[in-house]
Amino acid sequence: MAAGASTMPASHGAPVDVPQPPKELERIPLVANQRSFGWISNRIASLCEDRAPIWWWVLFVPSVLMLGMLMFMISYQVSTGVGVWGNMRPVMWAWDIVNFVWWIGIGHAGTLISAILFLLRQRWRTGVNRAAEAMTIFAVMCAGIYPALHVGRAWYDWWLFPIPNSNSIWPQFRSPLMWDVFAVSTYFTVSVLFWYMGLIPDLAVMRDRAKTRARQFLYGLFALGWTGSNRHWSNYEKAYLILAGLSTPLVLSVHSIVSLDFSVSQLPGWHTTIFPPYFVAGAVFSGFGMVLSLLIPLRSMFKLQDLITMRHIDVMCKVTLATGSIVGYSYLMEFLIAWYSGNPNERFHFINRALGPYQWAWFFMIGCNALVPQVFWFKKVRQNLLLIFIVSILVNVGMWFERFVIIVISLYRDFLPSSWSYYHPTWVDICTYIGTFGLFFTCFLLFIRFLPMIAISEVKGVTPQSDPHHPLGGAKVLEVEHD
Amino acid sequence: MKSAPHVEPSNGRAYWRGLDELAGTPEFRQFVEREFPEGASEWADPVSRRQFVRLMSASFLLAGLGVAGSGCRRPVERIEPFGQMPENYVHGVPEMYATAMPTRTGAIPVVARSNDGRPTKVEGNALFPGSNGGTDRYAQASVLDLYDPDRARHFKQGQFVTTPAAAMDFLAGLARQSAARSGQGLCFLSEASTSPSRRRLQEVVSAKYPNARWFSYDPLGLEVHRRAASQAFGQSVTPLWEFDKADVVLALDCDFLGSEDDVHNHIRRFAEKRQIETPAGSLNRLYTVEGVMSLTGFNADHRLRVPSSAVVEVAKALLAEIQKGSPSTVNSGTPQLPAEVDPRWITECAKDLAANRGRSLVVAGQRQPLAVHLLAHAMNAALGNLGKTVSFIPAPQSGEGTLEQLAGALNGGQVETLVILHANPVYNAPADLDWAKVQRKAHTVVRLGYYEDETSEFCDWHLPATHYLESWGDAQTTDGTWVPIQPLIAPLFGGWTELEVLARLAAAPVTAPYEIVRETFAGLKGIQDVEAAWRKFLHDGFLAGSASKAIEVKLDANVVGQALNGPSAGAPSRDSLEVVFQRDYSVDDGRYNNNGWLQEMPDPVTKLTWDNAVLLSHKTARRLGVSNLDVVEVKLGGRSVRGPVWVQPGQADYTVALALGYGKPKPGRVGYQTGFDVYPLRTSQAPSIASGATLTKTAATYPLSCTQHHWSMEGRPIVREVNLDQYREHPEFAKEEMEQEEHLPVESPLYPNPFNELKKHGIHQWGMAIDLNRCVGCSACMMACQSENNVPIVGKDQVARSREMHWLRIDRYYSGPPNQSGSFTYKADEDQQYEPWLANPQVVTQPMLCQHCEAAPCENVCPVNATSHDAEGLNVMTYNRCVGTRYCSNNCPYKVRRFNFFDYNKRPLNHLYLGPLAKRPPEEIELAKMVKNPQVTVRMRGVMEKCTYCLQRIEQAKIAQKVKARDSGDVVVPEGTFTTACAQACPAGAIVFGNLKDPNSRVSKLKSLDRNYPVLQTLLTKPRTTYLAKVRNPNPAMPDYDKAGPFTFQNYEKKMGNPFIEHPVEGRKGAE
Repeated sequence: MAAGASTMPASHGAPVDVPQPPKELERIPLVANQRSFGWISNRIASLCEDRAPIWWWVLFVPSVLMLGMLMFMISYQVSTGVGVWGNMRPVMWAWDIVNFVWWIGIGHAGTLISAILFLLRQRWRTGVNRAAEAMTIFAVMCAGIYPALHVGRAWYDWWLFPIPNSNSIWPQFRSPLMWDVFAVSTYFTVSVLFWYMGLIPDLAVMRDRAKTRARQFLYGLFALGWTGSNRHWSNYEKAYLILAGLSTPLVLSVHSIVSLDFSVSQLPGWHTTIFPPYFVAGAVFSGFGMVLSLLIPLRSMFKLQDLITMRHIDVMCKVTLATGSIVGYSYLMEFLIAWYSGNPNERFHFINRALGPYQWAWFFMIGCNALVPQVFWFKKVRQNLLLIFIVSILVNVGMWFERFVIIVISLYRDFLPSSWSYYHPTWVDICTYIGTFGLFFTCFLLFIRFLPMIAISEVKGVTPQSDPHHPLGGAKVLEVEHD
Repeated sequence: MKSAPHVEPSNGRAYWRGLDELAGTPEFRQFVEREFPEGASEWADPVSRRQFVRLMSASFLLAGLGVAGSGCRRPVERIEPFGQMPENYVHGVPEMYATAMPTRTGAIPVVARSNDGRPTKVEGNALFPGSNGGTDRYAQASVLDLYDPDRARHFKQGQFVTTPAAAMDFLAGLARQSAARSGQGLCFLSEASTSPSRRRLQEVVSAKYPNARWFSYDPLGLEVHRRAASQAFGQSVTPLWEFDKADVVLALDCDFLGSEDDVHNHIRRFAEKRQIETPAGSLNRLYTVEGVMSLTGFNADHRLRVPSSAVVEVAKALLAEIQKGSPSTVNSGTPQLPAEVDPRWITECAKDLAANRGRSLVVAGQRQPLAVHLLAHAMNAALGNLGKTVSFIPAPQSGEGTLEQLAGALNGGQVETLVILHANPVYNAPADLDWAKVQRKAHTVVRLGYYEDETSEFCDWHLPATHYLESWGDAQTTDGTWVPIQPLIAPLFGGWTELEVLARLAAAPVTAPYEIVRETFAGLKGIQDVEAAWRKFLHDGFLAGSASKAIEVKLDANVVGQALNGPSAGAPSRDSLEVVFQRDYSVDDGRYNNNGWLQEMPDPVTKLTWDNAVLLSHKTARRLGVSNLDVVEVKLGGRSVRGPVWVQPGQADYTVALALGYGKPKPGRVGYQTGFDVYPLRTSQAPSIASGATLTKTAATYPLSCTQHHWSMEGRPIVREVNLDQYREHPEFAKEEMEQEEHLPVESPLYPNPFNELKKHGIHQWGMAIDLNRCVGCSACMMACQSENNVPIVGKDQVARSREMHWLRIDRYYSGPPNQSGSFTYKADEDQQYEPWLANPQVVTQPMLCQHCEAAPCENVCPVNATSHDAEGLNVMTYNRCVGTRYCSNNCPYKVRRFNFFDYNKRPLNHLYLGPLAKRPPEEIELAKMVKNPQVTVRMRGVMEKCTYCLQRIEQAKIAQKVKARDSGDVVVPEGTFTTACAQACPAGAIVFGNLKDPNSRVSKLKSLDRNYPVLQTLLTKPRTTYLAKVRNPNPAMPDYDKAGPFTFQNYEKKMGNPFIEHPVEGRKGAE
C-alpha cells in the first residue's frame, strides 16, 4: 500500500499521472499513508469490536475503584457536613471550587475544537474532535459534582434553579452563582447534543457492522435510522453547522461566567476585569493540555498514528503555546494593574502572592503555565512525543495551581489581618479529587471501548479520495468496474 | 384448578349466550376455559409469587431505610398544650427576675430571664445604683453551668448513690454528735462569700458548737486587698477604687480591667474617664507596671515591663519619688530598680501623679505581695487620694483560718469531721501541703460541691450543690449593698445550698433556704414593714441604701515601713526563671473548666481557646531555643509541669506565666483534656510569684487553638488612633485624613442597596457605634452574644481550623515601631513570634461583628436570596433559605459570617467527623436544649449565620410599642427601651445601639462625632456599625512618649504617608 504520491493505489487499475506540486507548497496530508476509506472504517470501528486490550482492563479496574471512592467521599461529605473538607474561614472555598474551575477549564478544548475550528474550516480538527468532545463532557460532569456538593445543604440544590413554587421565591439573579448554573448546564447540554449529533453517522456504521443482536439494537437505536441518504446528509450538515454556531459563544461564555464568580466579588485578587478573557485563554490552554495528555498515549496504544498524525500534535502544541503565552501575559498584567491602580489592598495581595506563605503555589503556577510551554517554540520539542506529554501534564498541574492561587491565596489574607489564616486540605479533599479522575477515566475508557473515538465519516471527508477535484478523489468509473 | 370443558348437550334446542358462543370463536373458548377473566387470574406460579414477595419486601426495606436514615424527613415536632394554664403565664413572653451572682468578694446584681421556666440569659441589673447594666464574662456564661450535664446529681456516701433523706439523717446525726462534743473536732472549709445569711448561720453554728473551727481558702487570695488595707490603716476595711474620679491611674501589676474581682465595676468607672467627645474634652491616663501582658496593660498609656517580682522595687522608687519634697512619712527603703527601667519613667510618672493630688489613684494587684499593696496605700495617702479616689468601707472581721492552718490541724489529728463547702482543695491547694493525703486524716469528710471533682474522690459524703439560679441566698456587693439571690427554677438535680447544709448541721428549726434568707433580712436594722421591704428587695434585686458608709482612715506608716524590710528577689535570668501564676480569663481558678462557652472564648490577651500555655517573652523563647507549641518542662523547687510554649508579646523577659484552672485530673466532658495543671508547681510560700524555675525543651509539640493568627494590623487604618495632642490639632483625623480616599477613587458602591428608597420612609433605622476608647477588650459582649443567640461551641479541633462560631469577636492587634515591624508582613503568621518588635508592643482591641452594610457585598452574591436587606437597614439572614454556598462569607470584607460546617448542636464535639454515626446522648441534648433562647432559631449544619443586631429584641420592642401605641400611631420605639445583648453586657458602655432615624438618640449623636468612622471605608459598603477612633493619652514628659503618635498610626504613616501633611483637609475639600 505504500505507494508514492504520484501513483494511484494498485486497486484503481491503470495509474494516473498526478503532477507533483512544488516542495514548499506540498501539504502534509491529514491522514497519513494514504489510507483508504475501508481501512479508516476498519481501523476505528475495530477498536470497539475487538476484544479489549489488556492495558484497557489495567486502566479500567482502578478507574472504577476510584469512582467507588468518589461515591464514598460524596456520601460521607453529604451525610456529615462540609467540615470534612479543609474549608474554613476565611477560605470558604478551596479545593471544591478549585477543582470545579479546573475541570470546567479542561472541558473547554472539546467544544472549541469541534465548534470554533469547524466554523474556521480547520480541517485538522477531524482527527481529534470526537475524543476531545467526549473529554469535554466527562470533564464537565466531574466539574458539575463540585458546585452541587460543596454547598452546606446539597439536598436543596434545586433552589438554585428558577422553579415556580408556592412561595414565589426565586433565585437571586444578581448572583454570579446563579449565572453559573445557567452557563454550565447550557454548556453541558449543548456539548452533549453536539457530540451526539456528530456521532449519528458513525453509530450507523457501527450498527451496520454489528454482529450481535444487542449491538445491532443499541447502535441502531441511537443511530436514529440513519441511512446515509443525501437528504440525511444535507440535514445533518445544516444541523451540525447550527450547533457549531450555538456552541461557539458558549465556549467563550462558560468560563467567562465562571470567572465572574470571582470578578463580581470585591476581594483583591478576584475583583478584576481581566478575568473573562484570561479565564477563557487558560481554559483552552488546560483543555489542550488534557487532549494532548490523553491522545498521545492512546494514539500509540491503539495504533492510530495515521489518523492522529504528528501534524495534529504539532498544531495542538502551537495552540498550547499561544494560550499559555496569553495566560503568562495575564499574570504580568495583573501585577501591572495592581501597581497602577494604587489600591493598597490590591498591591498587598499581589506581593503576598509572590512572597507570602503560599509562594510555592505561585511559583508552581508561573513555572508550569508561563514558562514551561515556551519550549514549544522549538520544532524539535513539538516532534518529541515524550516531551510533549510531560509538558501537557505540567500544563494541567500548573492550571490547577492557577485556580488554587486565585481562590485560596486571595481568600486567606484579605482586608482584616485578624481573620487571616492558613488553609490545609484534608484527606477527604484529596480523595474526592482523585475520585473525580475515577469518574472521568471510567467514562472515557467506556467511551473508547464502545463508541468510535475518531469521527469516521469526518476523517474520510478530509482524505484526498473524498475531494472530487483531487486527482485521487471523486467517483471514478474505473473504480466501479473494478470493485 | 382448571374448570372442566364446558360442553352443551347436543340434543334439544341450542341456546347461546352471545354471538361469540354461536360463532364458536377461539376467544370465547378461552373465556370458558379460564376460571377468571383475563387480567384477573390468580398468580399460581409459585416462583413468580416468591419473586414478587421478595421484591416487595426489598422495596419496603429500602423505604424503611430511607425513613430511618431520615435524610428526607423533617424531625417530628410535638406541640403539647398545658393541661392547666399556670397563673400569669403568657406564652412566649419571658419573665425577668432580679437576682445576683455571688462572687468571692462581692456579688454581681443581675436580672435573669426565664423562658417558660428555664433561665436562659443573665443581664446586669441596670436599676442597681451606679450600674449601667454591664456584667462580666463569668456572669454571662454562668447560665450554661446550670445545665451542665456533668454537675453532681447524686447524694453519695463514698462511691455509692444514696438518697437525700439518708444525707439528712447523716447531717442530723452529725449535729447530735457535734452537740454532744460541743463541736470538738468539727472543722469547716469554705470559699470566701459575702452572704449575710451564711455569716449568720456561721455564728449560729459557732454558738452551738463553740469548739468548731472555720477555715477558708481561695487559691487566688483575693482577700489580700482587705488584708492589706486592714493592716495599713489599723482597722478592718476594704478598699473601693473609684476610677471615675481619677485622672491618673497607676496600676502596680493590677489587672483591674481583667482578672481582679468586681471587674465590671472597674471597667465601667474607668471607661467613664475614657470618654472624649470633643477635642476640648479630657482623658484619664493609665500607667501600668507589670510583668505579664494583661487587659490593663492593653489599655495603658504607659506600660512599664518589669518582672512581676520587681514591681515592688518600682513601687518603692515611685513612693520615694512621690514623697520627695514632702516630709517623708514612710521609709520606702532603697529601691533596687531593674536595670532596664529608665529612671525618668519613675520620676515623670511620680510627677504626673503628684500633679493630680486627690485625682490620682494607685492600685496594686491581687497576685502581688502584701508589701506592694501597702506601698500603694502609702502612695495614695501621700497623694491625698484617700477618701477621694479610693474609699474604705468596713469589712466584717473574719475569724476564719487559712488552709495551711487546717492542714496543720489535720496533721495534728485534731479533725474528726471536715465539712468542705464548695472549695476544691485536692485540685487547687498548694502542692507542698499534699492535700489529698492530708485530707484523709479526718475521720469523716463531708463535701458540698457543684461537681463530683477531685476533692469529692476523697470524701465520705458528697452532697450536690445548687446553682445560684436555682437556689435562695443573699450576698453583698463590693460596696456592701444587700442583694438577694432568688431561684428561677427548682433545683434540676435536687441539690442543696450552703445555707441548707449549715442549717441542718446546726440542727436549726428552719432549714429552707428561703426562710433562712428572709429571716436574715428581717433581722436587718431599720426595716419597718418587713413584708413590703422584702418584696421590694426581691423585685429590685437590691436593698436601696444598704451600701456601707465609707469611713475615714489614717495610714499607719510604721506598718508599711516594716513590711518593706523583706529581702528583694534577684532579677530573673535564663537559669532562674520567674513563674507567675495567673487567674485565667476564661476558667478563673478552674471553676469554669467545664463551661464550654468560656473554654471556647478566646483568652482576651493570647486569643488561645481551650488551653493554657507556658507564656514566654520573645527574648526568653529565643534564648531558651523554644518556639510556639514546643512542649517544655517547667521545674520549680523539685516539682515540674509540662505545657506548650506560647510567645506572649509584652511579657517581661525570663518570666513564665502559667494560667491556673486547666488540666483538671477529674474533668467534665467539656473540660476533658484541656490545658495542663499548674497547681502542682504552686507552694504556700509562693502562691502567685515564684522564682528559681528552669525550663527545658522536650521533643514533643502540642497543638494550640488560637483564634487570631496574625498579630499586626499591617498599617491599615482598621483601628484608627492618635495621641490626644494630635487629636486636638486634627479633630477630624479619623474621618478625613485616614480614609484613604485619595488612594482610591471609588465613586459609588459596588453593590447598591435595593432598599435605599424605602429607607427614607422607615421610622426605624438601626445602627451601632462602638467607642474604641472605652472598649477594654474584656469579652463580656462575646459571652452575652453567645448566650442570647444560641451560638454553638465547636470544640478545640474546629477552632484550630478557624471554624469558631462567635458572631461577635474581639480583634486584638499588636503594634511596634515601624522601623522594626516592616519586614515580616509577607511571612507566615507563625513567624511573627520571631519578630523583635514583639518585645513591648502597643495593643488595640476592636469588637468585630456584622457591620450591617447598607451596600452589602454579601447580599448581592447569594444565589438563593438567603441574605437580604430590610427596610430598617438590617442585613437579615434567612436560615431556612440558606443552602450554604458560603459565597457571602468570601465576599464579606469583615469576615464576620459564620458557617455551620457540622451539626454542632446535634453531635458530640469529639465525634463531629462521624456525622450521623455520632449520636449525642439524649439526656445531654435535653439539657443543652434548655439553655437555648427560644426566640432565636437553632441553626443546623450547612447554613451561614451572623450577627442580626439581636433582631428578636428589635421585633419584641416594636411589637410592645405597637401594643402600647394602640390608635395613637406612636409606633416609634423610644430610645432606651431595649438594646442588643452585647451593648447591654458591655460594662464600659462602649457599644451603643439605637435608632439612627432619631437625631437625638445616643447612637446618632455618637455617629456625628469627629471620631466616628466606618472600617474599610474605601469599599463604600456603608456599614451601619461604625467605630469611634481611639485617642491615647500619653504623657509628653515620659521617656517612652512618641510625638509621631501611636505605633499603629506610625505604621499607617509609613505605608500611606502622613495624612496630616500630605493630604490637608482644606486642599481636598476644594478639589471636590
